[in-house]
Amino acid sequence: MIVESKNRRYARMAAAWFITALFVFPLYYWGTTAFKQAKEIFSVPPTVWSFTPTLRNFEEVFGISFGFLRQQEVLPGGGNFYMAPRLWDSIVVGLFSTALAIAISTFAAYALSRMDFRGRHHFVAWVLSTRMMPPVAVAIPMFFIYKDIGLMDSYTGIILIHALMNLPLAVLLLKSFFDDIPREIDESAIVDGASRWKIFRRIILPMAKGGIAATAVLCFIFSWTEFIFVLTLTQTGLKTVPVVSSSFVTSTGTAWGNMAALGVAAMAPAFLFILLVQKQLVRGLTLGSLKQ
Amino acid sequence: MAEVAYHNICKSYGSVEVMRDLSLSIQDGEFAVLLGASGCGKTTLLRMTAGLENITGGELTIDGKVMNEVHPRDRDIAMVFQNYALYPTMKVFDNIAFSLEVKRLSKEEIKRKVNEAAAVLNLTDYLDRYPRELSGGQRQRVAMGRAMVRDAKVFLFDEPLSNLDAKLRAHMRVEIRQLHERLKATTVYVTHDQIEAMTMADKIVLMKGGRIEQVGTPDDLYDRPATRFAADFIGSPSMNFVEGDITTEDGNPHFVGPHINLPLDTGLKAEQGQKVICGLRPSDLVTTKSGEIKGTVKLVEKTGADVNIHVDLSETANLVATMARDNGAVAGGSIELTIPPRAVHLFDAETENRIETQTTG
Ligand SMILES: Nc1ncnc2c1ncn2[C@@H]1O[C@H](COP(=O)(O)OP(=O)(O)OP(=O)(O)O)[C@@H](O)[C@H]1O
Ligand SMILES: [Mg+2]
Repeated sequence: MIVESKNRRYARMAAAWFITALFVFPLYYWGTTAFKQAKEIFSVPPTVWSFTPTLRNFEEVFGISFGFLRQQEVLPGGGNFYMAPRLWDSIVVGLFSTALAIAISTFAAYALSRMDFRGRHHFVAWVLSTRMMPPVAVAIPMFFIYKDIGLMDSYTGIILIHALMNLPLAVLLLKSFFDDIPREIDESAIVDGASRWKIFRRIILPMAKGGIAATAVLCFIFSWTEFIFVLTLTQTGLKTVPVVSSSFVTSTGTAWGNMAALGVAAMAPAFLFILLVQKQLVRGLTLGSLKQ
Repeated sequence: MAEVAYHNICKSYGSVEVMRDLSLSIQDGEFAVLLGASGCGKTTLLRMTAGLENITGGELTIDGKVMNEVHPRDRDIAMVFQNYALYPTMKVFDNIAFSLEVKRLSKEEIKRKVNEAAAVLNLTDYLDRYPRELSGGQRQRVAMGRAMVRDAKVFLFDEPLSNLDAKLRAHMRVEIRQLHERLKATTVYVTHDQIEAMTMADKIVLMKGGRIEQVGTPDDLYDRPATRFAADFIGSPSMNFVEGDITTEDGNPHFVGPHINLPLDTGLKAEQGQKVICGLRPSDLVTTKSGEIKGTVKLVEKTGADVNIHVDLSETANLVATMARDNGAVAGGSIELTIPPRAVHLFDAETENRIETQTTG
């Protein structure tokens, strides 16, 4: 470590903690809101540290009883805030659309990284350009197309559109990971007599694991938080968490506690997914393959 | 076993020509070394041989069969890359076994071959490790092992020793050469290190700017360099060059330059008054009293058993002489040197080509 005076170091650490706290506080406040009773959420002055915790919000949202909610209690706005199936919808859409996007983009990215063809360099810009359109501009035509071909309000439809939206970025990201793998490794295997497919499966894919994991995380998070397409392309068949979050806003008021409870719960699967692939994320890409 | 022949090979990258009309033939079982400075096209030639790079013009044959359009995997070539290109996610065993696995050999056979290669290369204890857990020299040996188990017709090596330390390099030179004695496979070995070339080659191919400067045995290149470039490239410390003229004294040819007057071999194919460059190997120079070469000692450089004596002849001309430690030269003192007429190399000042003597030419 670079030498510096104690005072300087303390000042630097204090600044770092301050900035961290600044970013973490909203999350903390949102998290605690999920455990507050309605009257405490807007109490003045706000209760940041000391409030009476309750699991009532979670009981309403997930239909499980921890003993905070009396049977048949009338809910604010009179609506039904039972959201467990919506969480399930989000998980299904997130996992399948990610798997689909990764499956396609891995092949595409490898081909783009290794094969020579005319206009190879323009291809990247072209791929990116598909993401330059605002999603709303796509969503409306999609609404009519989906209606006509019968994909409206279906898991398949949402999985497809999420995978499609993720493809360009996934291809670009993965291509840069493949580009980092020295061509000599492919060439060495070619000279050894291996076919392209064999090289891809036995050598390149294991080396690109970290990159694929990172890309998968980004795809999953996109699908997990995507709003416009789910809103326009579904009715009653399925709805993902971001879209149903808006249904806590009712004519008789907003159920902030329930909304926070769903939000907090929705962070868990995404977090779990990232934990699962994290092991791959940190692994070095080409460690030990080349001379140092 | 195979003969590799290049007929008028040309190579361009887009509009940039990097090789023109290169012709060369490497005999069956020969250890040929491509030697040349960085960027002269050694790797390019090797990659064209392996089929990893298109040949722009000319013909490549292996065993008489034209290879220009043949896919790398059908050429039966083993290659060790400049950066080893080991498969980082595979253990050493699988790295070496990969080509055999591709060939669908039986498990026992693969095991036997890998173990055999590992024994030769002293890798037996490392078969269970990943490449990242090996030292540079061990990685280099894994790369060699991968090539060895192939039983290929032709072996290609691209500067495999360039990243090793001096001691390990000397050791690996011997190992690779011994391996070649065992396998007797046609080998093309690329290096920019003239000592590697001299110690390992049956045949040295000296390249410069995408052309061949000289082809020959190590002795050929050392004793009779065809051009000034070849003379300069081979030998360490490198050859001294002094510009001057050919004169005749008492009917015998002499080389005359700044504070130099050297008698030459009588059979020299040079003309009176011709402008020439005289090449003198540092190790051929000896001290004398007869004063053919006179100068002042600028620096005495110790190298161990010998010393390199840097001598100024004039403002512009200087040379280096390698001598035993106890020669008595001191910096600032004057020195007189001479050289046997047969050890003098002469090059035409204009073409820089060697001027032969009748007895040797
Ligand atoms: N892909 C390429 N595109 C354009 N020029 C290239 C390409 N590859 C090599 N060259 C050029 O071809 C020439 C020969 O390159 P090559 O790699 O064969 O040199 P080398 O003799 O192996 O050098 P080194 O000792 O540094 O490895 C160089 O001038 C280089 O700039
Ligand atoms: Mg090279």
